[in-house]
Amino acid sequence: MTAESLRVPVTDVDEGQIAQLEYSLAFIGDDVSDYQIDPEDGILRVELAPGADRDDIRQKIARLIERYAAREFGFKEELYFEQEAPVVNENVWQQLLERKWVTEVGQGHVVLRGGAARLLHMIDNVAVNRFAVAFGAETEVYPATIQCTTLDQCNHFTSFPEHLDFVAPLQSDIDVLKAFADDVRNGEWSSNLHEERMATTEFAISPSCCYHCYEGMAGWDLRPPGRCVTAILGCHRYEGMNHRTLSRLRAFTMREVIWVGHPKFVIGARAKADGMIVELARRWGLHCSYEVANDMFFTKDYAVKASFQRQQEAKKELRLIIPQEDTAVSVISSNFHAGSFGSAFDITVGGRPAVSACIGFGLERFAYAILSQFGLDPDGWPEGLRRDYQAFRSQ
Amino acid sequence: MDKANAAKIIESFVRQRFQVDQDDPDFDHDLHLFDYGYVDSFGAVELTQFVEVTFAVKIGDADFFLYPLNTINEIAHFVVQRQQGVI
Repeated sequence: MTAESLRVPVTDVDEGQIAQLEYSLAFIGDDVSDYQIDPEDGILRVELAPGADRDDIRQKIARLIERYAAREFGFKEELYFEQEAPVVNENVWQQLLERKWVTEVGQGHVVLRGGAARLLHMIDNVAVNRFAVAFGAETEVYPATIQCTTLDQCNHFTSFPEHLDFVAPLQSDIDVLKAFADDVRNGEWSSNLHEERMATTEFAISPSCCYHCYEGMAGWDLRPPGRCVTAILGCHRYEGMNHRTLSRLRAFTMREVIWVGHPKFVIGARAKADGMIVELARRWGLHCSYEVANDMFFTKDYAVKASFQRQQEAKKELRLIIPQEDTAVSVISSNFHAGSFGSAFDITVGGRPAVSACIGFGLERFAYAILSQFGLDPDGWPEGLRRDYQAFRSQ
Repeated sequence: MDKANAAKIIESFVRQRFQVDQDDPDFDHDLHLFDYGYVDSFGAVELTQFVEVTFAVKIGDADFFLYPLNTINEIAHFVVQRQQGVI
């Protein structure tokens, strides 16, 4: 059998939602080997595996397009800050691989070394010393995995089911363990050796840092005005065919500053942090924008959730241009959750319901965006960025 | 129905349903009910149903995005305007 293709016109989808539709198309099914929406004619071209059920795939595509179709209420756009900067025209990704500053070790998994690793640590250092310290944040340390019950309380399963990397041990049965080890010894490991041998799944790899903060404070009544916490965590998000370079990894590192407490305290801190994010972008001379955003909710009620989030300005993102990929990635997000997590985990402040907010730094993609914009040689970076990097290296 | 009376009725519902203390110093008619954590997304559905039934007005999905409906005063203003056919 030979490969087949489908052509589907994408109509009635707002231009601003095309990128989110393209992202979601990665989850149509395993029989889709490639796809692209042609910006010229608005036609979605889908490459199918031999023998794929065309009608089933066509229906799934139609359902996804409906999810992103234009709505009467629209999507709020708000640009808080924008800055242009001269960027290099080099294949930075290839250079990173050739210098061995990056080695790919699996889908969306990388090892960083050299200047890439140093830059990542410098960004984290700035996140801690300029942001967390400014708010008097307490450091917390979180486990790499998270209880599924916690994710359920956070509504993560219903909002982002596509992200999850579940973990489970082999069954605690000496015969199962011996059979597994013997099978590997007699051949080599393959995923089918896990079939019928896995225990119940109770954990997933943490998709986000701050969930641990809320579950750790379950049932607490905080002293007013509340707490500020910082933590760094290796997080996992499975994103199908969307994984690429360092801009969309499956395993990545997130630094967060989190506020939980009285609304005035949390809202005020977030507003201050928003200003600090813009100040950082100015200082480092980044080619970027700071704008209202929404999560890529993977649900049929995407439009209502995303639009409400935008209307409330509950999510803002510092987006950096990646010149080589003709796209922009969010490197810092600022999120206000209102009472969602306080309510889910029964957290109060002085007896009243607590609200929460956080800012999250995506460290690998932040480092990659900087290298993509300004190249691998710090001497060619904007002055403020270069100074901060040199100061970090001299510590 | 004038705006002040509508606001009192909405306040009474919010206080009772979402267990707002009578002496809560934050709570007033201009307080952002969602930002301040008094009403979450599920509570918003209940509040919408209460307003629709009590004031005999229809609130569509688009209204949440076209009009500010975050405070008691904003909701009361919307109710009066809709009853009068202004919006």
